[in-house]
Amino acid sequence: MKIIWTIFKKEIIDSLRDRRTLFVMILVPLFLFPALISISSHVIMSQQRKAKDKVLTIALIRNGNAEDFRESLVSRSDVKVVEDISLSKCKEQIKIDSLNACFVFKPDFDETVKSMGSGRVSLYFRYTDNQDVEKGRILDLLNGYRNKLRTERFAKLGIDEKIIKTLDLNEFNLATVKEKLADTIGGFLPYLFIIFCFMGSMYPAIDLAAGEKERGTLETLLTSPVSKGQILTGKFMVVILTGTVSAAISILGLYIGIRQVREIPAEFLSILMNIIELKSILMLLSLLVPLTVFLGGIQLALSVYARSFKEAQNLITPLMIVVIIPAFMGLLPGMKLDATTALVPVMNVSLASKAIIAGNIQSLLFLEVYGSLILFGILGILTCIAVFHHEASVFRS
Amino acid sequence: MGGGTVLTEPDLYCELSEYETEKSMIEIKNLQKRFKLSREQKKRKRGGNRNGFIDAVDHISFKCEPGRIFTLLGPNGAGKTTTLRMIATLLKPTSGSISVCGMDTVKEAVEVRKRLGFLTGSTRLYDRLTPNEIIRYYADLHYMDKNVYLKRRDELFTVLDMHDFADWRIGKLSTGMKQKVSIARTMIHDPEVVVFDEPTVGLDVMTSQNIIGLIRQCREDGKTVIFSTHIMGEVSLLSDDMAIIHCGKLLYNGEYKDFTAQMSSGSIEEEFIRILRETEQ
Repeated sequence: MKIIWTIFKKEIIDSLRDRRTLFVMILVPLFLFPALISISSHVIMSQQRKAKDKVLTIALIRNGNAEDFRESLVSRSDVKVVEDISLSKCKEQIKIDSLNACFVFKPDFDETVKSMGSGRVSLYFRYTDNQDVEKGRILDLLNGYRNKLRTERFAKLGIDEKIIKTLDLNEFNLATVKEKLADTIGGFLPYLFIIFCFMGSMYPAIDLAAGEKERGTLETLLTSPVSKGQILTGKFMVVILTGTVSAAISILGLYIGIRQVREIPAEFLSILMNIIELKSILMLLSLLVPLTVFLGGIQLALSVYARSFKEAQNLITPLMIVVIIPAFMGLLPGMKLDATTALVPVMNVSLASKAIIAGNIQSLLFLEVYGSLILFGILGILTCIAVFHHEASVFRS
Repeated sequence: MGGGTVLTEPDLYCELSEYETEKSMIEIKNLQKRFKLSREQKKRKRGGNRNGFIDAVDHISFKCEPGRIFTLLGPNGAGKTTTLRMIATLLKPTSGSISVCGMDTVKEAVEVRKRLGFLTGSTRLYDRLTPNEIIRYYADLHYMDKNVYLKRRDELFTVLDMHDFADWRIGKLSTGMKQKVSIARTMIHDPEVVVFDEPTVGLDVMTSQNIIGLIRQCREDGKTVIFSTHIMGEVSLLSDDMAIIHCGKLLYNGEYKDFTAQMSSGSIEEEFIRILRETEQ
């Protein structure tokens, strides 16, 4: 055990003095999310503010109709009305963003509405995002006019408007706020785990095996009176530690990121803080160790097999894509943690994270996830040991 | 040790009983190492190809004694490194046996490694550690007692004049300084047997002198030294006993003075080339 500690101590000092390891293990996960959250929320909020405050330029081709609609627009301070313009000109100007929208009323619009028909209005605009604030504001203008016409029509007919409401539906969604947000946040968190577990353990795994081989230090180490198992255990402990620490720091980074961003509404922030409660965090963190054992085992085995640092990078980097696939599958609609999915490594972490955040994780399934990860982790270690004991792999040239 | 001879084919499998055995620290008997050829190597179909395999070391036998320097001389790819790696327990023999300090390198690998120092020309150090940290690391790996380690470290650092840069990172050191650290690393546990695999490759004259000095010091200290080289100057400077290896086979094994006495060429270099050419014919 003393020898394993000696190897571990030396490897951790060596790794922590490597700027690449420090950068990937600590700096990126710690500062990436605060920076990302801060920048993106700042940009989104300012864009939304701009869209809300922006004076909309609306063209009207009324063909002598809808005078009351025109008046309602003209009276608004947030709308600039453009008239006496052709449709083709409107289309051109919408394309270059000089106009936000154009309403074209059919020549018989007023007449049709008066005769209880549906007056035809065409709306021209250019938006690619359905959630766009500007688009919502433009549709609101028309909806206001539509409601006005309907109210007038019912009044003319002497009918209570409520008569068309045949169903009075009272919806009671018993899902908690945590459950509602679990799909979004719970789907996002496993990406953090998996990516940072992977990235945090990748550089040490490459450096401690392929790097040593390339530098010619592995041969010397193997001539010391310690077993390959002891050497591997010491190195493996460093890989597990760096992967776990990296993922844990990414959660800390996310927490700091959320706390420091002022643009997040206080109400939403309070919900988020409730979701990220200590018990959930501890449960999520507990998944990190077997996950890193699994990922680190494969990485170290490939690294031992590789001839050089570069070859190890070439072998391990594509593995990241392979690992991301089951994590992504866990986000697909309808995918739930059950007895089968709990067995699939990485996907089970993704699904278990969602369940942990939603607060509805079943103990038995949680244990199954653990069992599966540990089993695959042992498989990773055994692969690593087998490769390390295969002299043709260690001395491959 | 008996007189050396240029070995003919039947001699390659000579019985060790021809030699004294009681003093030998390294005893190699009928050693063979067979490697599987890679696809690329198969395409090239180099010599020794036997159904996709190559005998990097082909049934060789020799012995090394304490207080003497044994030189393994051969061209590149002769099987020198493979032989030394098997002695250092890094590779397992396909057949035959190696005994170091009376212990089998396969069955008692850890015990053998406790008594062995290993230095190669391609050996590098951990750039991000200091000489002090590296030497301490290897002392710990050799289960050295702290007081013994400190005494030994001070001796080595003084002899090698390393005190001034003992706490500098290896990455900041010159080649000569690094080589001194490598020597200290190899010798910290005071090994009985020291294996040098082309230790001066790529080094300048001054740095090479450190290694030559170390090898001589090992002999004076009564250690068993085996070193491989293809530099004839080093052979004449250092060798007590020598073996010539080519394509995995032993072509000469005996004392250096006997080799020079029976030379039919004008210099060691010419004699070496003559022996290789004769074998190839």
